[in-house]
Amino acid sequence: MIELKNLCKYYGDIRAVDNISLQVPRGELFCFLGPNGAGKTTTIKIMTGLVKADSGSAWVAGYDIARDALSAKQRMGYIPDMPYLYDRLTCAEFMQFCGDLYNVPAERLDRERTRLLELFSLQEQSAALVRDLSHGMRQRLIYAATLLHEPEVLFIDEPLIGLDPYTIRLIKDLLRARARGGMTIFLTTHILALAEDIADRIAIVNNGQIIAIGSLQELKAQHPGINTLEDIFLHLTGHPANGGECR
Amino acid sequence: MAGSRALLNRWKWHLRNTDRILRRQSAFKLWFILLFAVGMEVGLFLLFMDAFRYLKTMGPMGAMVIGRLFSLFFLAMGMMLVFSGVVTSYATLFRSREIPFLLTGPFRIRQIVLYKFVESTLMSSWAFGFIVIPFLWAYALHESLSWRFALWAMLFSVPFLVLCSGIGTLVTVLAVRCFPSGRIWRKALVAGIIAGVILMFWSGAREVSQVTGTERLDLSRLVPGLRLASNSLLPNWWVSEGMVMMERGVPRRALMLGLLTYSWALLLGMLVVDAGAGCFYQGWLRVSEGPRSIGRSPLLALWLEKALACISPGIRAMVMKDLRTFLRDPMQWSQALIFFGLLALYFSNLRMFRYHVRSDEWRIVITFLNVFSVSAVMCSLGSRFIYPQLSLEGQGFWILGLSPLTKRQLIITKFTVAAAGMVVTAAALGLLSTRMLDVDGYTRFIVVMLSMTIALGVCGLSTGLGAVFIDLEQQNPSAIVSGFGGTLNLVLNLIFMLLAIFPMAVFVRRAADGGTEPQVFTVATFAALGWLLLLLLLTVLVPLLLGARSLARRDY
Repeated sequence: MIELKNLCKYYGDIRAVDNISLQVPRGELFCFLGPNGAGKTTTIKIMTGLVKADSGSAWVAGYDIARDALSAKQRMGYIPDMPYLYDRLTCAEFMQFCGDLYNVPAERLDRERTRLLELFSLQEQSAALVRDLSHGMRQRLIYAATLLHEPEVLFIDEPLIGLDPYTIRLIKDLLRARARGGMTIFLTTHILALAEDIADRIAIVNNGQIIAIGSLQELKAQHPGINTLEDIFLHLTGHPANGGECR
Repeated sequence: MAGSRALLNRWKWHLRNTDRILRRQSAFKLWFILLFAVGMEVGLFLLFMDAFRYLKTMGPMGAMVIGRLFSLFFLAMGMMLVFSGVVTSYATLFRSREIPFLLTGPFRIRQIVLYKFVESTLMSSWAFGFIVIPFLWAYALHESLSWRFALWAMLFSVPFLVLCSGIGTLVTVLAVRCFPSGRIWRKALVAGIIAGVILMFWSGAREVSQVTGTERLDLSRLVPGLRLASNSLLPNWWVSEGMVMMERGVPRRALMLGLLTYSWALLLGMLVVDAGAGCFYQGWLRVSEGPRSIGRSPLLALWLEKALACISPGIRAMVMKDLRTFLRDPMQWSQALIFFGLLALYFSNLRMFRYHVRSDEWRIVITFLNVFSVSAVMCSLGSRFIYPQLSLEGQGFWILGLSPLTKRQLIITKFTVAAAGMVVTAAALGLLSTRMLDVDGYTRFIVVMLSMTIALGVCGLSTGLGAVFIDLEQQNPSAIVSGFGGTLNLVLNLIFMLLAIFPMAVFVRRAADGGTEPQVFTVATFAALGWLLLLLLLTVLVPLLLGARSLARRDY
């Protein structure tokens, strides 16, 4: 469903993405972990067409994003860490707008809009302007709007920023359920507990390269004596917090 | 098709909700803006009527000017629209936060470009209506034209707007895509463009100064763009001639000119969409990916940091931050450079038009018109860049709020940084203009004092009101500027500018006529300087005090 082949992206001398290759099959919840500046967001932006790779290719839902972007975009959804929303539309209008973009049939759109607004506890804000929503409500709205057209592939950059515990739980359950239903989910996060909790497979990326990949059990098996994902992550990325001032 | 329908719906909902948002605003604010808009329209109408009457008193030459003024007006509007199109299309196509959202959606690139082109055209040309309505109204009344003239004006203006905005957008799309990426090439290109503009201006001015004898000499001197405006290959002529022909009952010729304008507007629209389909995405990637490292600090910043070593570190840090932000924001310095640069270029070529050998009366009129131009640019820059600077601290304002700087220090630092650049520029332009016009030392002194006073006043008003109406939630400078506080600031700046210039111009002109006794003259000079001082207190001290108090009362 997602296939990256020798993907490279340079900013001057900096190798933001350095020869990354991976495959994420249909229905997998894939987690991309890495320290700040490791290349996570650049990779996700290449896959969504917001950044052009210097070399290599990215295939999403069977389409090369560089050559057949429109077909790929019709089948994917993207939730960035700081999403753009139209401030002067109401929640219902924004949902309708997103549904229309992806040509969702009117009847299904109405049904799904009501269901998703309810699911994300936004039914009372349905007629409220987006500009009047709190940060958490805006995050919930972008989830509802992105899921409206039922994308085959969903990219999420830092999925839990600004959400309350109730919504975090809701999102985790929802992502698991959607993945079981066949949706491929690719998410980047700093929250290692989230990856431990929901990911089918995890890749740890550092300096633009994948330095470890596999399920949690596989990662643990690759690093005998290290019991938690946090320790594996710190060990592999050589981060100074692995000891340092705390000692 | 689905995408286009969704975008059209978005506009519809956006308009409907704007009405809803307006209803939430205070009635006072809405009435104030409405009254200001109507007042401005009526004021412009009266000004244009007065100009037409004045031209009529000039006899046959005036009648000739009026005949060509219509086409000159559209030439000036067209040039402004193209420039506005360049700036607005860059903001809407390459800097808008909506673009990444649209790019990840199921849109074709040409759909995004068309959608943004329409938006950019609407945004860049709304002010056109504000200016064109009173002008056409005054023109129609003066020439005793029928009401149908308004209809012809509308029918001809629409394609003219699209055409001008299309040129601006096309230039932007191609420039962003093709602008050389190497530093040396970039500098060479910019230097080449500047040299080209100077050469063009110089050769044009020289040509004007070399024309001898005949009435055309005086016409060209009076209004340098008159010949260009009457060029039948330019769209401003098609539009003005088309409207006049329609009114004079020559519909075939008017139809031909109308169709010509519409066909060019459509062609430009097609070119924008086609060029956009080929270039926009690559250009957007260039802008959004940009350089990751901005390299070394600008030399000016390094020098200033050393020069400011003696002042408190907190204030120095604030000054350096503002200076670096300004230097790294091409939108700010390029606009200041373009406007002030064009004025400097014009002033330095005043002798080409032989203004300096004209009578004292004319030279004083031109001197104060020049002060007016510089002041109008300062008002515009003050409203656009100085007023929103505190609001644009945005979510980072807590850093300043928690720092040991007092709110008074903060606002005074902001004012000083803005004023330092503005006062020096205003004084330099005042000196240049008076020198080229060869006016006497007294007038030169008054003009420089006046320019510096207006610069200080604009900075004081804009900084103070920017603090009073601070909006830390808003990240869009245009929205901050077009809000209530921004509008009030612009209005007060313009009123202040008129209150400062008009009495001084009348006084200096009377003094030049010899209509004032020497003793009265001395008293009047002190009274004039006292007037400037009073205005300075009202526009600097009062707004800054109010602003500091407002900042101190806020929670962060």
